[in-house]
Amino acid sequence: MSSRETVQLVATRELRERSREKSFLISTTVNIVIIVAVIILAAILGGGETTYKVAGDPALIQAAARAASGTDIHVEEVPVTTDLRAALEDGSIDAAVQNGRIIAKDNPPDDLVALLQAGNNRNVKAPAPLQITTIEPVDKDADAKSGYTFFMVLILYGQLLTYGYWVAAGVVEEKASRVVEVVLSAIRPAQLLAGKVIGLGLLGLGNLLLIVAVGLGAAGATGALTIDGTVLGAAVLALAWFVVGYAFYACAFAVAGALVSRQEDLQSTMTPLTLTILVSFFLSFAVRDNPDGLLANILAFIPMTAPLTVPPRIATGDVPAWEIVASLAVTIGAAVALIPLAARIYSGGILRTGSALKLREAWRAARA
Amino acid sequence: MLELRDLARRYGDVVALDGISFTVGAGQMYGFVGPNGAGKTTTMRIILGVLAPDRGEVLFDDRPVGFEERVRFGYMPEERGLYPKMRVRDQLIYMARLHGIDGSAAGRAADRWIETLGLTERAGDRVEALSLGNQQRVQLAAALVHDPELLVLDEPFSGLDPVGVDVLSGVLAEYAATGVPVVFSSHQLELVERLCDSVAIIKDGRLVASGPVEELRDRGTDERHVRVAIQGVEGDAWLAAVPGARVKDRGVRGTLIALEDASPEAVLDAARAAGTVTYFSLERPTLTDLFREAVAA
Repeated sequence: MSSRETVQLVATRELRERSREKSFLISTTVNIVIIVAVIILAAILGGGETTYKVAGDPALIQAAARAASGTDIHVEEVPVTTDLRAALEDGSIDAAVQNGRIIAKDNPPDDLVALLQAGNNRNVKAPAPLQITTIEPVDKDADAKSGYTFFMVLILYGQLLTYGYWVAAGVVEEKASRVVEVVLSAIRPAQLLAGKVIGLGLLGLGNLLLIVAVGLGAAGATGALTIDGTVLGAAVLALAWFVVGYAFYACAFAVAGALVSRQEDLQSTMTPLTLTILVSFFLSFAVRDNPDGLLANILAFIPMTAPLTVPPRIATGDVPAWEIVASLAVTIGAAVALIPLAARIYSGGILRTGSALKLREAWRAARA
Repeated sequence: MLELRDLARRYGDVVALDGISFTVGAGQMYGFVGPNGAGKTTTMRIILGVLAPDRGEVLFDDRPVGFEERVRFGYMPEERGLYPKMRVRDQLIYMARLHGIDGSAAGRAADRWIETLGLTERAGDRVEALSLGNQQRVQLAAALVHDPELLVLDEPFSGLDPVGVDVLSGVLAEYAATGVPVVFSSHQLELVERLCDSVAIIKDGRLVASGPVEELRDRGTDERHVRVAIQGVEGDAWLAAVPGARVKDRGVRGTLIALEDASPEAVLDAARAAGTVTYFSLERPTLTDLFREAVAA
């Protein structure tokens, strides 16, 4: 049997056995139900109670506030001492009204614009409609996209953790049941590792594809998001980033599994990895707030953080193509470099039973 | 024919094996016994190439064993050795395919062993749902499903009831009879004595005795024993007449007497003088006796 066939055989088993597990079917169903429910609920409930902070012409703002009375929208006047532009940029006000113009950061909310126009109509005898000026280019889907990127990061985070954990747990299951001894009397450790990682990775990718398709379908159907080339492109890139991020983390999770003999001990060796993913997850929020910042640019070139911090920037269109390519290359390069190291530590640890091994011990044990 | 030459292996500072050599011929059942931690599992793992020796080599049919040869070996590790959540038939097919058997042939081999081992009703069940005895049968099937040219089994009989032992030992003996060397370890020495042509006794990583069971028993220990039962005679006052003989043990079949200087004939004469002798035999040491002596030394 060729090495490729062996890897394929192992991968097929992983894919088949895992997808037949009840827990997998249940969690997939639950995920999809939650995504559809959130998108539909968001469409039904709309904005809910909203308070807009507006600076500028006091008479106009008060008129708008009166027009809003009786609705669940409130308009609040905020005195701005510093320059308006900075206040709009940092989000401390939603809009400013001045000299017959509404100034906003990007696309001002429609209901606010309507209220301000109404206020303007009451205050002025022969009203000229207020002009809208924005300080950043208008993206009418910006809010939806922001929500969409939040989901995207959340799902990528969940997938990396879940499938990484499955790799580690699968390795421990083989060790604990000693079936690994039988398997390794027929095939090589690197083939087993590769088959396991590829099989579960394909399952994760298929699962993600389903989630993305359902999510985009629901968002498109409810009108929450206009499905265009940019959105689809971003979705495809998110899938690509899952593959790359998973390749990087899965090898590390396999090592974490190979170091212990019992599921109870797995938590201890997996913690550094789950923490790294968790930190990347939180960093991705900082990046969302400031997608062009220095932090965002640095994190794109760290293999551990790139898989969770680059995709949301791609979705909002805040990252140049060269940077996407370069950061993909860095992460792929790191994964490729990690694979032989992981394979060696894995083969050193996979047959050692008893208490948890140290990385160095497993490395040395694999000398033969 | 399997041949081990001077195998040695350390784990850090612990010497697990220190020069193990023995040969298992075609069609031979070979028992591998020794106390816990003596190095049995390590030896088996080295035979299967799951572990590399520090020194020594493994030969099969006079050629050093490499990866290609090992794919044709069958191995059953101690307890479990199966994917707990996988279904019996799927598992056997997978094991066969890992050993290079193609899809449809793997299915036929799995079905054949499922039937031979009486697992037909369980073929679609997950392994973890089976009783220990049935799990052991599946394990054996997994070791046999690719028609191995050598069979190595680590404690195949532990935890089995007598019926399970009979089924397993029957299958092993049949398989060995096709000309395949079979090596297995066990703590059930009566069973080893019954099933095996030859044994190796290992202690602290060294062989303390090896060879055909009968030869080892004949060579025996330093002491010779006879067992005597005399009708209606309780106690052993009659033995006082024989110098150089002492009572070693009292069993249901009779009194076991260790001969130091006395001859068996002298004991028999004294017994006949005491009453009607219903049982008299020269007792050869059992494998258990040999094991105890070897391990105590």
